[in-house]
Amino acid sequence: MRIGVFICHCGSNIAGTVDCARVASLAASFPDVVYATDPMYTCAEPGQAAIEAAIREHRLDGVVVASCSPRMHEPTFRRTVERAGLNRYMFEMANIREHVSWIGKDVEANTNKAAELVSMAVAKLRHNRALHAASFDVCKRTLIIGGGVAGIQAALDCAEGGIPVVMVEREPTIGGKMAKLDKTFPTVDCSACILGPKMVDVAQHPNITLHASAEVEDISGYVGNFTVTIRKKATYVDWSKCTGCGECMEKCPSRKTPDPFNEYMGTTTAISIPFPQAIPKKASINPQFCKMLTAGKCGACARACPSGAIVYDMQDELITEKVGAIVAATGYDLVDWTTYEEYGGGRYPDVITSLQYERMLSASGPTGGHIRRPSNGEEPKTVVFVQCVGSRDRSAGRPGCSGFCCMYTAKQAVLTKDHLPDSQSYVFYMDVRANGKLYDEFQRRAVEEYGTEYIRGRVSRIYPDADGRLVVCGADTLLGQAVEVTADLVVLAVGVEASHGAARLAEKLRISYDQQGFFMESHVKLKPVETNTAGVYLAGVCQGVKDIPASVAQGSAAAAKVLALLSRDKLQGDPQVSQVDVKRCVACGKCLRTCPFGAIEMVSFRGQDKAHVIETACQGCGICTSTCPQGAIQLSHFTDNQILAEVNALCQR
Amino acid sequence: MNAAYYPGCSAAGSSSDYEQSTQAVCGALGLKFASLPGWNCCGSTPAHAVDTELSAALCVRNLDLAARIRAERVATSCPSCLSNLRLARKRMENPQFRARVNELLDEPAAEQLPQAYSVMQLIHEEYGPELVANRAHRRLTGIRIAPYYGCLLSRPADVMADFGNPENPQVMEGLLRACGADVLDFPLKTDCCGASFGIPERRVTASLSGKILDAATRMGADVIAVACPLCQMNLDLRQRQAARECGRDFNIPVLYFTQLMGLAFGFTPTQLGMKKLMVSTASLLKKLDAGA
Amino acid sequence: MSALAGKELRIIGFLCNWCSYGGADTAGVARATQPTDLRIVRVPCSGRVDPLFVVRALLNGADGVLVSGCHPGDCHYAAGNYYARRRLEILRQFLPVLGIDPRRFEYTWISASEGQRWQAAVTEFTRQIHSLGPAPKLEDAEPLVRVADMALTALRPLGTGRNAALDELKAAIKAKLPELDCVIGWKQGYDAAHAAPLFMRTEADVDQLIWGPLNVSNPATYLPSLKGKKVGIVVKGCDSRSVVELLQEGLIRREDLTVFSMPCEGTLDMARVQQELGSYRHIDSVERDEAGVTITADGQPHRFCMVEYAQGKCYGCTTPGAVLADVRLGTPTPVTPAEATPPELALLDGMSLGERFSFWKTQMERCIRCGACRNACPMCVCRDYCVSESRDPHWLTQEDKPTEKLFFQAIHALHLAGRCTGCGECQRACPVGIPILALRQHISRAVSQTFDGYRPGMNTGATPPLLGYAVEEKSIHEREWK
Repeated sequence: MRIGVFICHCGSNIAGTVDCARVASLAASFPDVVYATDPMYTCAEPGQAAIEAAIREHRLDGVVVASCSPRMHEPTFRRTVERAGLNRYMFEMANIREHVSWIGKDVEANTNKAAELVSMAVAKLRHNRALHAASFDVCKRTLIIGGGVAGIQAALDCAEGGIPVVMVEREPTIGGKMAKLDKTFPTVDCSACILGPKMVDVAQHPNITLHASAEVEDISGYVGNFTVTIRKKATYVDWSKCTGCGECMEKCPSRKTPDPFNEYMGTTTAISIPFPQAIPKKASINPQFCKMLTAGKCGACARACPSGAIVYDMQDELITEKVGAIVAATGYDLVDWTTYEEYGGGRYPDVITSLQYERMLSASGPTGGHIRRPSNGEEPKTVVFVQCVGSRDRSAGRPGCSGFCCMYTAKQAVLTKDHLPDSQSYVFYMDVRANGKLYDEFQRRAVEEYGTEYIRGRVSRIYPDADGRLVVCGADTLLGQAVEVTADLVVLAVGVEASHGAARLAEKLRISYDQQGFFMESHVKLKPVETNTAGVYLAGVCQGVKDIPASVAQGSAAAAKVLALLSRDKLQGDPQVSQVDVKRCVACGKCLRTCPFGAIEMVSFRGQDKAHVIETACQGCGICTSTCPQGAIQLSHFTDNQILAEVNALCQR
Repeated sequence: MNAAYYPGCSAAGSSSDYEQSTQAVCGALGLKFASLPGWNCCGSTPAHAVDTELSAALCVRNLDLAARIRAERVATSCPSCLSNLRLARKRMENPQFRARVNELLDEPAAEQLPQAYSVMQLIHEEYGPELVANRAHRRLTGIRIAPYYGCLLSRPADVMADFGNPENPQVMEGLLRACGADVLDFPLKTDCCGASFGIPERRVTASLSGKILDAATRMGADVIAVACPLCQMNLDLRQRQAARECGRDFNIPVLYFTQLMGLAFGFTPTQLGMKKLMVSTASLLKKLDAGA
Repeated sequence: MSALAGKELRIIGFLCNWCSYGGADTAGVARATQPTDLRIVRVPCSGRVDPLFVVRALLNGADGVLVSGCHPGDCHYAAGNYYARRRLEILRQFLPVLGIDPRRFEYTWISASEGQRWQAAVTEFTRQIHSLGPAPKLEDAEPLVRVADMALTALRPLGTGRNAALDELKAAIKAKLPELDCVIGWKQGYDAAHAAPLFMRTEADVDQLIWGPLNVSNPATYLPSLKGKKVGIVVKGCDSRSVVELLQEGLIRREDLTVFSMPCEGTLDMARVQQELGSYRHIDSVERDEAGVTITADGQPHRFCMVEYAQGKCYGCTTPGAVLADVRLGTPTPVTPAEATPPELALLDGMSLGERFSFWKTQMERCIRCGACRNACPMCVCRDYCVSESRDPHWLTQEDKPTEKLFFQAIHALHLAGRCTGCGECQRACPVGIPILALRQHISRAVSQTFDGYRPGMNTGATPPLLGYAVEEKSIHEREWK
C-alpha cells in the first residue's frame, strides 16, 4: 500500500502540546507510509485540497489524518478522499486532540502518544478494504413524538413541505406546557392566543395525522424505514363520534376528579375535555374516577351524549405506522420538589409551583384568573417567589440551570402587581439570567416599574406561623444578613427535567440521554438537532432547557433536517455491516442467537446450511463477530484483523 | 447487637440529666451497652478548626478502644460527639489521612473501626415505636410536644444520613408518638439554636433560640423535646435571655426526649434528673397527671 | 513500539463509539487532564470486544486493558453491552488462572455525557496499573514444575463395570440397528489394555462392543461430523453431557439420535497406567475384579485399583448415569452430592499468580502444537476452520513461543466458556501430558458461580450463559469510579 499521513496542528489546539512535525517524521517510517506532513488546519479548504493533491501526486491508496475526534470530522475527510478517487473507507483517523493535546501538557508524552495513535491508525488502514454502500428506498413520512410547541412547529413545517406527518401525543390534547401558561415573556401576550391557531392548524392540515392519548410502544427499522408501533390508550369515548359539545361534563356526577391540566389546583369531572381550546377537542374518561368503570353503575355521560360516543368497554389499541424519519419533541416535566422538606415538602397549601401559579393567573384556570391563597381563598398581600428550586443545586444532584425560570418569575411578579395592585412581591434569586432579546429590559421593568423586591440569596426554610402565614427565611448575600419575609403565598420556580419516560423512549429510539434525562444531540455545537441514530432528530426541551422561541426555532430546524433527508428517493446504506465467509461457516447458529436485530438468517448454500447477513437490517454492532468461534462472520471495517492490527501495533515488543 | 457506649464529656457534667434519663430508658428497654474504659473527649471543641488530624485522632482513639473490645457499633447520646466520631471514621478511609493519624496515636488504629450511632437511632432501629409503645404504660396523652433535633443530628446529610430527610427527620416523632404524646409538626426542628455563639455573641444565640421558643409557644406546645445537651442549655437555661431579646415572655419546659420517654415508662422526675431543669415542669407534670 | 520509558506503562482501552468514546471526547473538550498512558481503540460496541483481544494484549505486553461501553440499558445496539458484561466478567475471573493479575483488566460503563467519569476512570485505572508495575513477561518467568495430587476420594463407588449388562446392551443395539446408519461405541484397541472407537453398522460389529474402565474416549466427539445421519451412541454419564450440550447448541438433531447408556463405574487414567506399565512388548491378559484391573504385560502383573487410578474427573463425577438416554440399562449408581474441586484445578488453585505464570510457561514449552486437544474436544466443531490456523482472522502466529501456545489454550478455554462439560478429552489427548483441563475447569467454575450454578450439558432447553444475557445480572457487580 501507499499511505499518506497528515498530522494536523489545529492551530495551536494540537501543536500547543504535541510536536506535530516530529510525529509526521516518525510516521514517515511506519510500514507502507510514503508521505507524511503536518498541515496547520487539515479540515479547512486548503487543508482538504492538500490531501487531494497528495493523493494524486503520491498515488496514495490510503490516508490517515491525525487531528480531532472522528466523531467530529470523519465524514468530512471521507468525502475529501472520495473526491480524489479513493474509496471512503480507505481512510483512518487518529484522535490526537480530544484524546491527547487537550488532556495533558507534557509535550514529550503527548508527542509519543500521538505517534503511537498514528501507528495504530496506519496498522488498521493496512487491513482496510474498499466498501460500497447499497442504496434503498425511503419512506417519505415522518413521526413526531410530542405535541408541544416544538413538535407542533416541526409538524407544521414538515406538512407544509409536503411530507405526511404522524404526530403522537401522550396527553389527550396537544399544546404541551405552553398551553398551560397564562402569558409569555417578554411581551406579556396571551399564550393561548398565539398557540391556539397553530394547534388548530395541526388539527386541520391534510398532511398531519394526530394520535392524542397515545404513546410510542416500539420502534424498529432504520433511517428511511422505521416501523413504529403506537399504543392508542383507551379513552372510553369514540372520538370519531365525539363532537366536543361538553354535555357529558355537565352530567358527570364525579366532580372531584383531579385535574392534571390545571396542575391539580382544582378538580374536574371524570369525563372531561382538558380545556376549551383543546386539540383534539374530544372528551375522555378517567377510569379511576368514573363511577361506571369503577362501580359498574352510572352511565350518565352515555345518556347525555347526543352522538352516542361513549364506549365503556374500550381497550387500548396498537397501530403501526411506517415512517422514514422521527422527531422527538417530548419536552419536560418539573422535578419532584417535594424532596425539599425545608420548603414544607408539599405540606403547606400556600406553597405552590410556578406552573400552578400560571394556571391560577389564567382566565380559563381553576380560579378564573383570580389570585387566591389555596388555603383560604383570600387574596394574598405578599407573594414570595423562590428561584432555583431543583436547579443549580448540587446537593440535590441537579447542578444545571433550568434556563427560563428567571424570566417567567419576572413575568409572574409583573402579573401579580397587575392583578393585585396593593400586593408586594419578593424574589429570592441566585443570579438573574436574562440573556434573550428584550429579556433584561423586561426584568428591569419588573424591578423598577412594578416594585418587585429582588433579594439575592437562597431560601433556607419556609414554615407557617401561628396565623397561617408563611415565614420565608433566607439570606441576603448582598447585604450579608439573614432575612425573613412573611408571605401569604409562596411560588417556587421549580426546575425542569426531561419528561417522565424520556429514558424509556430514548432506549426505543436508541439515542443517548444525560443524567437529567435530556436526549443527547450528535454534536454539542454543530449538530444540535441530530442524534447519533440516523434519521432521529430532536426539537425543544427534550434536548436541553430552552424557552419558547428557541423551542420553536429547533422545531423548524428539525423539520428542515427531515425535509432534507426525505427529499431523496433513495438512501445509501452503511456498508459497515457483517459479512459471512461461507467457507468458514459451520452453521452453528451462535450468531443468529445473539444478533439483537434478527439480521442473520440461515440459508442453504450449495446444499449446506450457512449464516447470511440481511444487510439492511444489520446495524453494525459486531456482536456476531465476537461470538463466532471460527471467525467466519466479520464486521466490515472492524474485522478481527483490523482490531488485532491496532492491538499488535501497540503491544508487540 | 454488640455496641459500646460513649458518654461524651457533657454526660459527666452539664447534661448529667440526659445521661441519667438515657440510662433509665435504655435499661427499661433492655438495651445493653458495653462500657468503654479510658474514653477521652471527642474533640468537639475548636480542635477540629485548628488541626483536623489531631481532632480526628481524639475520635479515632475512642473508636479504636471500641474495636479492641470487639464492639460492632458505638452508641452516643450527644449529636456533636456523633458527628465527630462519624466524620473521623469517614476521613480514615483515606489512606494518607489514616497514616498521619496513626502517627499521632500510640499504636495504629484498627483497620475496621466501628461506626457510631445515636442512642435515639438505636432505640428506633432495635426496638421501634411498637415495642416502645408496649413499654409506655403512663401514656403522655394530650401532651403537645415540639420535637427539636438541632442543627447537628441530621447534618451533614452524607455523613449522618440516618434520620431520613435531613431537613425533616421523623425518628424522634415516632418514639414520642409511641409514648402517646401529641407530637407537633415542628417546622424549625433542624434550625440552629445559636450554640456556637453562646459566649462571644450572646444576642445572636438569644435571638436564634428565641425564634425556636417563639414558634413552639405559638404552636401551643407544652414542652420542647431535645436531643442535644447544648440545645437544651440554650433553650432552657437561657430562656429568659431569649425572652428579653424577643420582647416577650416564654415559659416552656425543655426536656430531653429520653426524659419524656422516661416519664412515659413510669420513672419519677427525680430518677430522670429533672431537678436540673431551669424552667419549671410543674404545669407539664400536672397535665400529665390529669391525663393519666 | 515501547511505552515511554520510565514514565508510562502500556494501557489499552477498547471504547464503544457511541457512549464511551464520546465520553472520552467530552472529557477532552472539557480539558479534563488525564494520565497519558492509555491508548484508545475505537470499536462500534462493547459487544464487539472479543475477550480474546484483551488476552492477546495482556500476553503480548500490555500492562493494563480497560473496556468501556454504554451503560446497561443504553446500548446503541440494544443489547451489545449486556453480552459484553457477561463475557468480560467471565474473562476477568479467567485471567488469574493464567497467572495474570485480574486487576490489570477492568470493564466499565461510561456515557457520552460523562466526561468527568471518564477522567476519573482513566486516572484511577492508570494509578492502579502503575501500582502493579510493568506486567511480567511469560518469557521471563522462572521454570516451575508441579504435579496434581491424585489422592482423592470419589463421590460414588468406583468399580470396573464387571457385572454391567453388556449382553443386554448389545441386544438393544441390534434391535435398533436397522433404523440407524451407525452406532458409536468402543472396541478393543491395539491390545487388550486399550480401547478404540467402534462404529457399528452390522451385528458382527456390535459383538465387538466392550464396556469397562478402558472406555476412556468420548464418543460424542464424532456426532457433529455425522449431522444429518441417523446415529446411535453408547455413552458414559460424562459423554451424555457432551451430547446434551451439542443438542443445546443445535449442533446435532435430537430426532437423528438414539442414546444407549449404562451407569459408568469410572474410567482409568491411561497416562498413569502407561507410566506404571512402562514399555512392554505384549499384553498377556487383562483381568477385572471388583475394585480394579490387573494387566499382565510381558509376564509381569500390574494391579490398578480404581480408587487410585481413575481419571481425575471421575472422582468428582455426579453423573455416572446418562443425563439423557433412550435406552437405559443397569441400576443407577448412588452419588453423594458434594462440592469437589478437580485435582488439576486444585493444583492451580494452590499456586500464586506468579507461580501459575511460571507453571504455564514451563508446560507450554513442552507443547508441540499438534492440535490433539482441539480435535479430541467434542465441542470444537470448527474443525478445519479453527482460528488458530487461519490468516483471516489471524489470531495466532506460527512462532514457537510459549505466549502463542498459551494464547491458543486461552482461545480454546474462552470459546468453551459455559459450554465445556469437563469431559477431559483435551487433556487425555495431549501427547505430552499438559494438564490443560485446569483452564477449562477454572472457567466452568467461574461460569457456574456467576450464573446460578449453571452446568453445561444438563438440560437440552437451557441457553448457554454467554449466548444470552439478563438485564439485571444478579452476580455481576461493576466497579464504580469516583
